[in-house]
Amino acid sequence: MQPSGNRVHLETTLRNCVSRGRVLTSPAQLAGYDTDGLGYKEYRPDAVVIPADTDELIRVLQSARQLGVPLCFRGAGTSLSGGPVAAQGGIIVHTSALRAIRKISPEGFWCEVECGVTLNQLDEALKQHSVFYPPDPSSGPVCTIGGNVATNAGGAHCFRYGVTSNYVLGLEVILLDGSVHRFGGPAGGRGRWREDWKRFMIGSEGTLGAFTRFWLRVLPRPEKVWTFRATFPDLITAEKAIHGLVADASYPVAIELMDPRCVAMVENSPMAVGLPVDSFMLLTEIEGPAALVDARVESVAEILRNAGSRDVVYSDEAILRGKLWKARKVAGGLMGQLSADFVVQDAVIPKRALAELLQLVYDEADAAGIRAVNVFHAGDGNLHPNFLFDSRKPGELEKVELIGKRLMQRVVEVGGTLSGEHGIGNDKAAYMPLVFGPDTTRLQLAIPAVFNPRHQLNPLKVFTERRFTP
Amino acid sequence: MDLNTAEGSRTAVNTTSSKPGQHEKSASPADSDLLTSCVHCGFCLEVCPTYKLTGDENNSPRGRLRLWREEAEGRLEQDPWTDFYTSECVGCLACESACPANVPYGKIFENIRHQHVASGRYSPSLMLRMAAKAATYPLLMNLAMLPVRMLRRRGWLRGTMSVPGRPASIQSTASLARQLMQRHRPSGPRVALLTGCLMESVFREINAATVRVLIENNVQVIVPDDQTCCGAFQEHCGLEGAEQLQEANRKAFGKLQVDAVLSNSSGCGYALGRALSGSQTVRDVLTFLGEHGIIPRKRDSNKAQVYVDLPCHLVHGQKAAGIPTNVLDATGYRWQLAPAARDCCGSGGTYQMEKPENAREILARKSAFLNDAEGDPVILATSNHVCMMQWHSALTHSLVRRPFQVKHVIQLLDPGEDF
Ligand SMILES: Cc1cc2nc3c(=O)[nH]c(=O)nc-3n(C[C@H](O)[C@H](O)[C@H](O)COP(=O)(O)OP(=O)(O)OC[C@H]3O[C@@H](n4cnc5c(N)ncnc54)[C@H](O)[C@@H]3O)c2cc1C
Ligand code: SF4
Ligand code: SF4
Repeated sequence: MQPSGNRVHLETTLRNCVSRGRVLTSPAQLAGYDTDGLGYKEYRPDAVVIPADTDELIRVLQSARQLGVPLCFRGAGTSLSGGPVAAQGGIIVHTSALRAIRKISPEGFWCEVECGVTLNQLDEALKQHSVFYPPDPSSGPVCTIGGNVATNAGGAHCFRYGVTSNYVLGLEVILLDGSVHRFGGPAGGRGRWREDWKRFMIGSEGTLGAFTRFWLRVLPRPEKVWTFRATFPDLITAEKAIHGLVADASYPVAIELMDPRCVAMVENSPMAVGLPVDSFMLLTEIEGPAALVDARVESVAEILRNAGSRDVVYSDEAILRGKLWKARKVAGGLMGQLSADFVVQDAVIPKRALAELLQLVYDEADAAGIRAVNVFHAGDGNLHPNFLFDSRKPGELEKVELIGKRLMQRVVEVGGTLSGEHGIGNDKAAYMPLVFGPDTTRLQLAIPAVFNPRHQLNPLKVFTERRFTP
Repeated sequence: MDLNTAEGSRTAVNTTSSKPGQHEKSASPADSDLLTSCVHCGFCLEVCPTYKLTGDENNSPRGRLRLWREEAEGRLEQDPWTDFYTSECVGCLACESACPANVPYGKIFENIRHQHVASGRYSPSLMLRMAAKAATYPLLMNLAMLPVRMLRRRGWLRGTMSVPGRPASIQSTASLARQLMQRHRPSGPRVALLTGCLMESVFREINAATVRVLIENNVQVIVPDDQTCCGAFQEHCGLEGAEQLQEANRKAFGKLQVDAVLSNSSGCGYALGRALSGSQTVRDVLTFLGEHGIIPRKRDSNKAQVYVDLPCHLVHGQKAAGIPTNVLDATGYRWQLAPAARDCCGSGGTYQMEKPENAREILARKSAFLNDAEGDPVILATSNHVCMMQWHSALTHSLVRRPFQVKHVIQLLDPGEDF
């Protein structure tokens, strides 16, 4: 928190940066920016700026550099890892006004969007051209492309299509000195755009610069989709189905799994869909040209049956497909209804370790008296244990954090890693030494040092060493 | 727990309530659980008209909830900005529909509004206070509004209430209903109709159309004389008096032997539904007709085009799926949903009066399509009189630069004054 004299100076300086944009500095204007999708960890910024255009954003960056205050970018603030929060105070730049879809090139299969465009907004626009942008985090109704690129977001269908990084052809980034750079472009980088540093940028969680624009790859919209739902009496049979699907030539686009605790949570709620409460529920989809996918329907159902399911249901009809997805879709909201807070871990594990790690989650959670449910991207081994707790009750948050630490320790031991899609933020930064030894950490820290030597951009994120010193 | 048998999972969830969103959470307004029910996922941001207008998180449902919570928990001092952001909320309840955690935003907002009014942090304008008071005296209000009805009938009225229409100056809806019941002797289901304060005193022609359509469709209509304003107005402004009105309506409607209580204005229906919960089912008249079945109207011209807008308190308050398609088909017009039909038009009860600039900007964005919409004439149809006033203001404020008519859907089904 800045001393009051400095705050006045900060406010005046920021007001000089924007004419159409907004500057917020009163406590009750800052409080709305105290936290992100985690909700229970609060960090009060000193100011929030909502720039109306890129020029204003450039001036804000330059001023922040001169003032020597930390800067943090925020899209929709749906991060589940403490990413868009002012961990060391300073300025939050909210990109909510930078939301133009600048161009859609259906023939070239790309589009150009500003960083504050939301995923659903983009999908609505692309629909009219019969193309789609595959990464599909379930926060799609609100999350921004800027946030997606900064965290390299994934989603259910990324099992087949791959995560955000596979679809970024190019991006425009503004560095702390206000200089504007384009890395890559719609045609993969030509002329001045040749330098392809975009891979450094994707997943950098706001630590290297502010993304303002993207050129994204789009694909033809699938002609037809079949959704399958099956339950399994135990993990052994469910895993058999997962392995069968992954290896099958019908090439499913998504493989999602809900554990019995999550199934029971849904079934014991008004959202019940009639699943056996002791079962694992698996969802999978195939999509593509009608003739091709229609021919594969039976073989997918057969894999599920052969693995041990006795209730395989499937449909190619939109309303019925929605019903098959229902249990999966309502699970997150139900957790919100059931507990004051919840935290979701995002570990990626080799599939062979699934049983062991689920058991670890159950044992640790049961011992601590914390409810845990699992609903996750089983196809790519992206485990999402959700811990339901109440941060107002003394000791609960500590318990949940301890479970997280033990879980991550084991995840890394079995050859997995800390995050599949949610990013590290400040919530998982403490686990980074589990993955990176001193040598690699030194190299990792060398990258922000080029762009942002004093860690002024999003300090204390990704690596705890990234503390800003004025 | 053993993975392969999944024991213990059944005991995990509390199922004491049959209502989504009520599990393990108190419904007591004073309970801080209401405020902590928000898990901060942000799913409500993009549906919120004031967030879309400003891009300011504080001006979103999640932001407002955060400010109220931090203040309630002593982490944020009372601040004029909190009052400002609270006052900015339209009360459209779109955030309730979008919320996966079923946060009862409307309930929380109402409680906060009451607290702010009681403690002097928010003060509704004198005009709103007077209007709220007047609404509690239906007879007086009907009398006071006689000139307004007469001017409207002649098309001489200017201002927000100038939506064209021909309300009866003298004959009340109750008297019309008695007269038409005598004349046509319907034998179908029995319903009681809420006539409302503004609806009866200013937009009485919509009530009349409602009675005619119901009776034409063989529905027996009772209009209780002792009914009063639904109290939504007072609740929305955070003013006292809603409780007495609700009590009066419980007396008027509670014990009637009817198949349903009907309302023809979504906001009033939503408020009355809550007041009568447990004693009567309150239905929107169009939803009721959709299920009951309806005589279709025949039209000669097929050039007219109806754009249907869905009032927030119908789809987000009453949680109706929309206006039934068989009812819209029965109007005999070509119709389609207006773009973003489920989004707020900016009317929000008293919002037009309290935040005219925001209301206008929200409407400007929403009504822009009318400038090049097909149809001769173009009709914008909705089912809430406050939304009708708001849509009509798109003409008076030149937000839309071509003529269009604003109608209640029930008016498109009306057999006419000669019925
Ligand atoms: C209910 C729910 C479900 C979710 N499901 C998924 C899921 O399925 N898959 C998934 O991957 N994630 C998921 N998430 C997490 C979250 O939605 C994603 O991380 C998303 O990409 C964040 O986007 P955002 O716009 O909210 O970004 P924010 O949360 O605002 O920011 C995220 C990070 O990006 C940085 N950032 C944002 N904009 C910019 C910019 N313009 N330039 C530079 N840096 C920037 C921020 O500094 C921060 O570090 C979910 C979250 C919720 C609440
Ligand atoms: S009621 Fe409407 S205006 Fe108010 S917070 Fe909810 S969505 Fe926004
Ligand atoms: S959608 Fe519901 S839980 Fe999520 S932020 Fe909004 S109010 Fe809170």
